[in-house]
Amino acid sequence: MRYGGEGRTRFLLIILIVTSLFLITLDLHGVTLLENARQGTQTVLSPFQRAGNVVLSPFKNFLSDVTHLGRTRNQIEKLRADNAKLKATLLNRKNADAQLKQLKSILDLAGTAGYKVVNARVISQGSSQLFSQSIIIDSGANAGIKKNMTVLSQNGIAGVVKDVYPNTSLVMLATDPSFKIGVRIAGTQQIGILTGRGSSSGALQLLDNQTTVKVGDVLLARGSVANRPFVPGVPVGYVTFVDNSAGEIAQSGSVRYYTSFSGLGVVAVVVGAPVTNPGDALVPPKPIPTPIPTVTVYVTPSPSPTK
Amino acid sequence: MLTRQISLSAPIFLFIYLFQEAAMNQFKLPGGGFSLFVIFALVWAILSTPEIAALTGFAAGIMMDMAQNSDGPVGQWTLIMILVCYGVSYLGYGDGNISGNPIGVIFFVVSANLASELLFIASGALLGVTVGSFGQVLITLLGNSLWTLVVAPIVLPVFSFLHNFVFETRSA
Repeated sequence: MRYGGEGRTRFLLIILIVTSLFLITLDLHGVTLLENARQGTQTVLSPFQRAGNVVLSPFKNFLSDVTHLGRTRNQIEKLRADNAKLKATLLNRKNADAQLKQLKSILDLAGTAGYKVVNARVISQGSSQLFSQSIIIDSGANAGIKKNMTVLSQNGIAGVVKDVYPNTSLVMLATDPSFKIGVRIAGTQQIGILTGRGSSSGALQLLDNQTTVKVGDVLLARGSVANRPFVPGVPVGYVTFVDNSAGEIAQSGSVRYYTSFSGLGVVAVVVGAPVTNPGDALVPPKPIPTPIPTVTVYVTPSPSPTK
Repeated sequence: MLTRQISLSAPIFLFIYLFQEAAMNQFKLPGGGFSLFVIFALVWAILSTPEIAALTGFAAGIMMDMAQNSDGPVGQWTLIMILVCYGVSYLGYGDGNISGNPIGVIFFVVSANLASELLFIASGALLGVTVGSFGQVLITLLGNSLWTLVVAPIVLPVFSFLHNFVFETRSA
């Protein structure tokens, strides 16, 4: 021990540890004072998070482009072809346009199913230091959002509202390890449970050993009692891998989410469920394969060999 | 003296916390990213006496627990940060090879950061906090450590200067 280690320091350490254990106990017993303190902190932080989101949007876009370089190569090549003035204009408008596109898609999705939604912008991506997969959106209780409401992206399920504050909400993403959703295979009544894995894919566990699932099957949200936390019919993802191990009671597999969680800019919270179940109405259309041109070369052999 | 130190330290802690929540959390960095606030708290603890380090850990932990996206119960990060901050200061205080040497400080910061993550997982398992699959946890731990290793040397001079300014003592 290099430090003197006086009794006072040890006494202080014990007091601090006991205090923290006391706080944990209080929180586990659901003392509202601590919840109110967290809410108060978020109320204070939300204006700064909004400001940070506005100021840092260009940097976020740049970083996103760098990390998705392979996927955005075509877009980069297109931008290179533009002149400097158009480039500058495009860069300034890029964020707003992307959010508008996302918003339009979300409204199309919600409109098809008859969901009543509240749109919101993502103002914070959360911290991976905490191992949770969450985002903070700029709409809260004042906009009619409540806990355990479904959150949509432009392509399907994004997550579920975990906590609500006056002007912001915490959304647990579908990738969070503690996220679970009852799903149905589109076109059938086969059901299973999808669990987040902290990545862009989830783990599917079918509930019935008489049913089968195959790669490419589309999964939709089965819906919950009173439509909370999940409204029915929301596209969740498609099956990418099926485990047919003999020892398994029912089939399991991997599912790729439709939502791109790294690029979430705008989301919609379902505040009103449809009167009737939309069924398979929201199943995304299969991509139309681009025809590959075939070139046929005819070669006629010469009468005599050339030297 | 202590009043002066606390009154100077508090706005610095608040500023770094605000910067972490408002700016750093806007970015989804590959491999789990890093927490500037944790790096700051650890540097502050390493350069301080164990007594101050324990208080630093308590304050930093409370602030982390108050973050909206904090998954565990209030007090979990507080407990972890008290133990880690006190631990690094206890081991390094008075040893010029560690707290007086930037490489020693960075080594301690990275190790302590990893220790805090491991303690979070361990305590989370007891408290029912889900942290994901083994592979994902491994990626986060590795990525977080690498990011900390990259960022800590860049911010160390600034944090060290601030600590020196508040405590008017040695710096790394």
